[in-house]
Amino acid sequence: MTSLRRAAAALLCVSTGALAVEVGDPAPAVAGAPGGQVLYVDFWASWCVPCRLSMPALDALYRKHGAAGFSVVGVNKDVSEDDARRFLQRVPVTFRWVPDRDDSLAKAFGVKAMPSGYLVDRKGIVRKVHRGFTAGTAAALETEIASLLGEGK
Amino acid sequence: MNCTVCWLAVLLLASACAPVAPYQRGYLARPDMAFEESPGTAKALEKVFVAKEAATGSATVGGSGCGCN
Repeated sequence: MTSLRRAAAALLCVSTGALAVEVGDPAPAVAGAPGGQVLYVDFWASWCVPCRLSMPALDALYRKHGAAGFSVVGVNKDVSEDDARRFLQRVPVTFRWVPDRDDSLAKAFGVKAMPSGYLVDRKGIVRKVHRGFTAGTAAALETEIASLLGEGK
Repeated sequence: MNCTVCWLAVLLLASACAPVAPYQRGYLARPDMAFEESPGTAKALEKVFVAKEAATGSATVGGSGCGCN
Protein backbone atom coordinates (compact mmCIF):
# COMPACT_ATOMS: atom_id res chain seq x y z
CA MET A 1 0.00 0.00 0.00
CA THR A 2 2.76 2.39 0.95
CA SER A 3 4.75 1.74 -2.21
CA LEU A 4 1.62 2.25 -4.32
CA ARG A 5 0.90 5.57 -2.66
CA ARG A 6 4.51 6.63 -3.01
CA ALA A 7 4.47 5.80 -6.72
CA ALA A 8 1.25 7.76 -7.18
CA ALA A 9 2.76 10.69 -5.29
CA ALA A 10 5.90 10.59 -7.44
CA LEU A 11 3.74 10.64 -10.58
CA LEU A 12 1.82 13.64 -9.29
CA CYS A 13 5.10 15.36 -8.38
CA VAL A 14 4.09 15.52 -4.73
CA SER A 15 6.80 15.31 -2.14
CA THR A 16 6.79 11.81 -0.70
CA GLY A 17 7.85 13.27 2.62
CA ALA A 18 4.43 14.87 2.95
CA LEU A 19 2.60 11.53 2.72
CA ALA A 20 0.64 10.77 5.82
CA VAL A 21 1.20 7.56 7.71
CA GLU A 22 -2.00 5.51 7.59
CA VAL A 23 -3.28 2.28 9.09
CA GLY A 24 -1.15 -0.68 7.98
CA ASP A 25 2.02 1.35 7.43
CA PRO A 26 5.13 0.71 9.50
CA ALA A 27 5.48 3.46 12.09
CA PRO A 28 8.47 5.79 11.65
CA ALA A 29 11.05 5.41 14.41
CA VAL A 30 10.53 7.62 17.43
CA ALA A 31 13.58 8.21 19.60
CA GLY A 32 13.11 6.87 23.09
CA ALA A 33 10.08 4.74 22.27
CA PRO A 34 10.33 1.25 23.78
CA GLY A 35 10.35 -1.60 21.26
CA GLY A 36 8.03 -4.62 21.40
CA GLN A 37 5.31 -2.69 23.18
CA VAL A 38 1.96 -1.33 22.14
CA LEU A 39 2.78 2.32 21.55
CA TYR A 40 0.74 5.47 21.16
CA VAL A 41 2.58 8.33 19.46
CA ASP A 42 0.73 11.54 20.23
CA PHE A 43 1.50 14.88 18.58
CA TRP A 44 0.54 17.64 20.98
CA ALA A 45 1.17 21.32 21.69
CA SER A 46 0.25 23.88 24.32
CA TRP A 47 -1.67 25.93 21.73
CA CYS A 48 -3.75 22.92 20.70
CA VAL A 49 -7.11 23.20 22.48
CA PRO A 50 -8.19 19.52 22.31
CA CYS A 51 -4.81 18.58 23.84
CA ARG A 52 -6.23 19.84 27.13
CA LEU A 53 -8.57 16.88 26.88
CA SER A 54 -6.26 14.34 25.27
CA MET A 55 -3.27 14.63 27.59
CA PRO A 56 -5.06 13.68 30.85
CA ALA A 57 -6.99 10.95 28.99
CA LEU A 58 -3.78 9.47 27.56
CA ASP A 59 -2.13 9.70 30.95
CA ALA A 60 -5.01 7.75 32.50
CA LEU A 61 -4.70 5.09 29.78
CA TYR A 62 -0.95 4.91 30.30
CA ARG A 63 -1.33 4.48 34.05
CA LYS A 64 -3.95 1.79 33.53
CA HIS A 65 -2.26 -0.26 30.80
CA GLY A 66 1.40 0.67 31.28
CA ALA A 67 2.20 -2.42 33.29
CA ALA A 68 0.65 -4.64 30.61
CA GLY A 69 3.02 -3.33 27.93
CA PHE A 70 1.43 -0.11 26.70
CA SER A 71 3.42 3.08 26.42
CA VAL A 72 2.79 6.61 25.22
CA VAL A 73 5.28 9.01 23.68
CA GLY A 74 4.18 12.60 23.31
CA VAL A 75 5.78 14.55 20.50
CA ASN A 76 5.66 18.23 21.34
CA LYS A 77 5.08 20.75 18.56
CA ASP A 78 5.51 23.98 20.50
CA VAL A 79 7.74 26.72 19.14
CA SER A 80 9.36 27.04 22.54
CA GLU A 81 9.85 24.22 25.02
CA ASP A 82 9.01 26.63 27.83
CA ASP A 83 5.45 26.75 26.49
CA ALA A 84 5.32 22.96 26.70
CA ARG A 85 6.60 22.94 30.26
CA ARG A 86 4.13 25.63 31.32
CA PHE A 87 1.32 23.54 29.82
CA LEU A 88 2.54 20.43 31.64
CA GLN A 89 2.55 22.29 34.95
CA ARG A 90 -1.18 22.72 34.56
CA VAL A 91 -1.80 19.36 32.88
CA PRO A 92 0.81 17.01 34.34
CA VAL A 93 1.46 13.70 32.62
CA THR A 94 3.58 10.70 33.58
CA PHE A 95 4.46 9.46 30.10
CA ARG A 96 7.54 10.47 28.12
CA TRP A 97 7.52 13.39 25.73
CA VAL A 98 10.08 14.55 23.22
CA PRO A 99 10.41 17.88 21.41
CA ASP A 100 10.38 17.86 17.61
CA ARG A 101 12.39 21.00 16.89
CA ASP A 102 13.16 20.33 13.23
CA ASP A 103 9.67 18.96 12.38
CA SER A 104 11.32 15.68 11.32
CA LEU A 105 8.87 13.46 13.21
CA ALA A 106 5.83 15.47 12.14
CA LYS A 107 7.00 15.21 8.53
CA ALA A 108 7.77 11.48 8.85
CA PHE A 109 4.24 10.86 10.13
CA GLY A 110 2.69 13.42 7.79
CA VAL A 111 0.67 15.01 10.59
CA LYS A 112 -2.53 16.52 9.17
CA ALA A 113 -4.26 17.66 12.35
CA MET A 114 -3.52 18.54 15.93
CA PRO A 115 -3.62 16.46 18.00
CA SER A 116 -2.79 13.37 15.95
CA GLY A 117 -2.30 10.00 17.55
CA TYR A 118 -0.90 6.81 16.06
CA LEU A 119 -1.58 3.52 17.80
CA VAL A 120 1.24 1.13 16.94
CA ASP A 121 1.18 -2.62 17.66
CA ARG A 122 4.03 -4.71 19.08
CA LYS A 123 5.39 -5.36 15.57
CA GLY A 124 5.66 -1.65 14.80
CA ILE A 125 2.67 -1.42 12.46
CA VAL A 126 0.26 1.52 12.74
CA ARG A 127 -3.13 0.04 13.61
CA LYS A 128 -5.18 3.14 14.26
CA VAL A 129 -4.87 6.84 13.52
CA HIS A 130 -6.78 9.37 15.60
CA ARG A 131 -6.98 12.92 14.29
CA GLY A 132 -8.46 15.31 16.81
CA PHE A 133 -9.60 14.22 20.23
CA THR A 134 -12.98 13.94 21.93
CA ALA A 135 -14.35 11.95 24.85
CA GLY A 136 -15.34 9.32 22.25
CA THR A 137 -11.70 9.00 21.15
CA ALA A 138 -10.66 8.10 24.68
CA ALA A 139 -13.35 5.43 24.89
CA ALA A 140 -12.36 4.01 21.49
CA LEU A 141 -8.69 3.98 22.48
CA GLU A 142 -9.49 2.04 25.61
CA THR A 143 -10.90 -0.89 23.62
CA GLU A 144 -8.27 -0.64 20.86
CA ILE A 145 -5.41 -0.77 23.36
CA ALA A 146 -6.97 -3.71 25.20
CA SER A 147 -7.36 -5.66 21.94
CA LEU A 148 -3.79 -4.89 20.81
CA LEU A 149 -2.39 -5.90 24.19
CA GLY A 150 -4.31 -9.16 23.91
CA GLU A 151 -2.79 -9.90 20.49
CA GLY A 152 0.73 -10.39 21.76
CA LYS A 153 -0.24 -13.04 24.25
CA MET B 1 6.41 41.32 -25.32
CA ASN B 2 3.19 39.61 -24.47
CA CYS B 3 3.98 37.02 -21.86
CA THR B 4 1.07 36.74 -19.47
CA VAL B 5 2.36 33.44 -18.13
CA CYS B 6 5.74 34.99 -17.32
CA TRP B 7 4.11 37.88 -15.47
CA LEU B 8 1.87 35.49 -13.61
CA ALA B 9 4.89 33.40 -12.64
CA VAL B 10 6.75 36.50 -11.44
CA LEU B 11 3.70 37.58 -9.47
CA LEU B 12 3.39 34.17 -7.83
CA LEU B 13 7.09 33.99 -7.04
CA ALA B 14 7.07 37.48 -5.59
CA SER B 15 4.22 36.73 -3.21
CA ALA B 16 5.25 36.06 0.35
CA CYS B 17 2.81 33.23 0.92
CA ALA B 18 3.98 30.14 2.75
CA PRO B 19 1.91 27.12 3.64
CA VAL B 20 1.68 26.52 7.38
CA ALA B 21 1.39 22.86 8.31
CA PRO B 22 -1.08 21.98 11.07
CA TYR B 23 1.80 21.19 13.41
CA GLN B 24 3.44 24.59 12.77
CA ARG B 25 0.50 26.64 14.03
CA GLY B 26 2.44 27.44 17.16
CA TYR B 27 3.98 30.24 15.11
CA LEU B 28 0.55 31.69 14.43
CA ALA B 29 -0.35 31.38 18.12
CA ARG B 30 2.46 33.69 19.16
CA PRO B 31 1.24 36.96 20.74
CA ASP B 32 3.06 39.07 18.15
CA MET B 33 1.10 37.35 15.39
CA ALA B 34 -2.22 38.66 16.69
CA PHE B 35 -4.13 41.17 14.54
CA GLU B 36 -4.67 43.40 17.56
CA GLU B 37 -2.03 44.26 20.11
CA SER B 38 -4.60 44.37 22.86
CA PRO B 39 -7.90 42.51 22.39
CA GLY B 40 -9.51 44.56 25.19
CA THR B 41 -8.66 47.93 23.61
CA ALA B 42 -9.78 46.67 20.21
CA LYS B 43 -13.13 45.63 21.67
CA ALA B 44 -13.56 49.01 23.38
CA LEU B 45 -12.72 50.95 20.19
CA GLU B 46 -15.13 48.80 18.22
CA LYS B 47 -17.90 49.52 20.71
CA VAL B 48 -17.30 53.26 20.51
CA PHE B 49 -17.22 53.12 16.73
CA VAL B 50 -20.53 51.28 16.58
CA ALA B 51 -22.13 53.77 18.99
CA LYS B 52 -20.83 56.83 17.12
CA GLU B 53 -21.79 55.58 13.70
CA ALA B 54 -25.19 54.32 14.90
CA ALA B 55 -24.46 51.22 12.94
CA THR B 56 -26.65 48.28 13.69
CA GLY B 57 -24.46 45.26 14.24
CA SER B 58 -21.55 46.61 12.26
CA ALA B 59 -18.87 44.21 13.36
CA THR B 60 -21.17 41.59 14.81
CA VAL B 61 -24.91 41.46 15.02
CA GLY B 62 -25.62 42.56 18.55
CA GLY B 63 -28.23 45.27 18.68
CA SER B 64 -28.54 48.89 17.63
CA GLY B 65 -26.20 51.82 17.84
CA CYS B 66 -27.27 53.14 21.25
CA GLY B 67 -24.02 52.01 22.85
CA CYS B 68 -25.98 50.43 25.67
CA ASN B 69 -25.49 46.78 24.89
